[in-house]
Amino acid sequence: TVACQPSLSIEFSRQEYWSGLPFPSPGDLPDRKEGPSKDFQGLKLPLLLWQVLCLKNDTIFKQAFSLLRFRTSGENPVYSAGGILLTTSRHYRSKPTHGIGRYKHLVKPEEPKKKKGKVEIRAINVGTDYEYGTLNIHLIAYDMALTESYAQYVHNLCNHLSIKVEESYAMPTKTMEVLQLQDQGNKMLLDSVLTTHERVVQISGLNATFAEIFLEIIQSNLPEGVKLSVREHTEEDFKGRFKARPELEELLAKLN
Amino acid sequence: MAAPTRRTVLGLARCWRRFESPWSLGSRSLTLAAAPSNSASPWRLLGALCLQRPPLVSKQLTPMQEEMAALLQQMEIERSLYSDHELRALDEAEQLEKKKSDLYEEKDEKNILLVQDLEDMWEQKFLQFKPGARITDADVKNDRSSLHRKLDRNLILLVKDKLGDQDVWMLPQAEWQPGETLRQTAERTLATLSENNLEAKFLGNAPCGHYKFKFPQAVRAEGSLGAKIFFFKALLLTGDFSPAVEKGRHVWASKEELGDYLKPKYLAQVRRFLLDL
Repeated sequence: TVACQPSLSIEFSRQEYWSGLPFPSPGDLPDRKEGPSKDFQGLKLPLLLWQVLCLKNDTIFKQAFSLLRFRTSGENPVYSAGGILLTTSRHYRSKPTHGIGRYKHLVKPEEPKKKKGKVEIRAINVGTDYEYGTLNIHLIAYDMALTESYAQYVHNLCNHLSIKVEESYAMPTKTMEVLQLQDQGNKMLLDSVLTTHERVVQISGLNATFAEIFLEIIQSNLPEGVKLSVREHTEEDFKGRFKARPELEELLAKLN
Repeated sequence: MAAPTRRTVLGLARCWRRFESPWSLGSRSLTLAAAPSNSASPWRLLGALCLQRPPLVSKQLTPMQEEMAALLQQMEIERSLYSDHELRALDEAEQLEKKKSDLYEEKDEKNILLVQDLEDMWEQKFLQFKPGARITDADVKNDRSSLHRKLDRNLILLVKDKLGDQDVWMLPQAEWQPGETLRQTAERTLATLSENNLEAKFLGNAPCGHYKFKFPQAVRAEGSLGAKIFFFKALLLTGDFSPAVEKGRHVWASKEELGDYLKPKYLAQVRRFLLDL
């Protein structure tokens, strides 16, 4: 028999649910033994509701009701009912929650960090586009402020003309002592100490047709006292920046 | 049916006309090299040399530039640290003050030369130094064929050549011969000018300017409608014309003086690639 009372005890609002539906509440339905097909033809019942109405056992009916209630509201029925099937949050491959929580495929893989020791990159020297490879512009002068300010100017000019500046570095200062022969006697007297400063601006991708104009601009803007030298970048230039290692050289000399 | 065909024919004619006078050097030289005898182009090719003597002395600063330079120098001094020389000067000044106060014991003076003495010596030397004159004799006499004038400007070589039956001032040029690049034509011009006295450095392989002109009707022959001149820039390193060369045929002119010699249209094209800073 269909029992109304359990429905009332479980959910208070169930009564309203039933009353809103376009079919009579279970209490009004005729006896089940006659079979559902004859009486239910005219009514459009949701399948679940029909299953519920067919059940005979009270406890199962309770369970089913709770299942029905929670299915319609969209929650997971088993949790809150404290049901038999204790479970897990398994996300099956067929369900829409498959792959929830995956994020590694969205993050860019980090490149392994390079240890000390830069690798030199060689560019094409005269390719089909007639471009120069890596060029070094050396600016040498005795006055440090002047060299630095002109190196700054060259760097800004390259930026403005969209020439790629790879690096802008300084070479170590060279000190020269100028000794003069004294007027009286043969002793050499220290006259002055000259320090030579060198700044290098390394560029790449200079167009051959533009190189002419660029070189002319740099040359005509040279301030007094600054020497200009434009060369192609070579291994020796690169290695010349590193400190000399006397122990290593000694060992190598011993080997040979 | 008739209308579309007419349109396509017109289109073809337009394209053909456009192709007849192209500016691209490469295609022109290629066609000439392929069929040297008498190919389709009625233009003669000439390679010209723009020989520039770079300035030997920097220009005079304008008043605003001088003020700016003084300001920057002041800032540099204020921000910089003391040099060895200045530290020594400060130490010696302190020692002198201590001596004057009479509380100081006489110690052996190790440095015979005080900083003050050094500075006096340097001052003397500086007064003896005479810098070269900015305005040379040639400037005073306005001798335009000398190389030693207008030391702070770029000077360009101009020569007088016969064009047709007129003497015209222009940049030295030579006719292009098949089988050589236009830069080699310019180098040949340089060699023939001075008989290997002048040494110049070409900064690049590309021409810096061009000029096109048509021959007057009288001179126009079959297959020569006019000439196209491509200019190549070179910086003068050393050397000059020997004095045996007859005067009046060459001139070293600065940018403003070019107008006295060159024809207006030619001048307009030449001015475009002259950099005067």
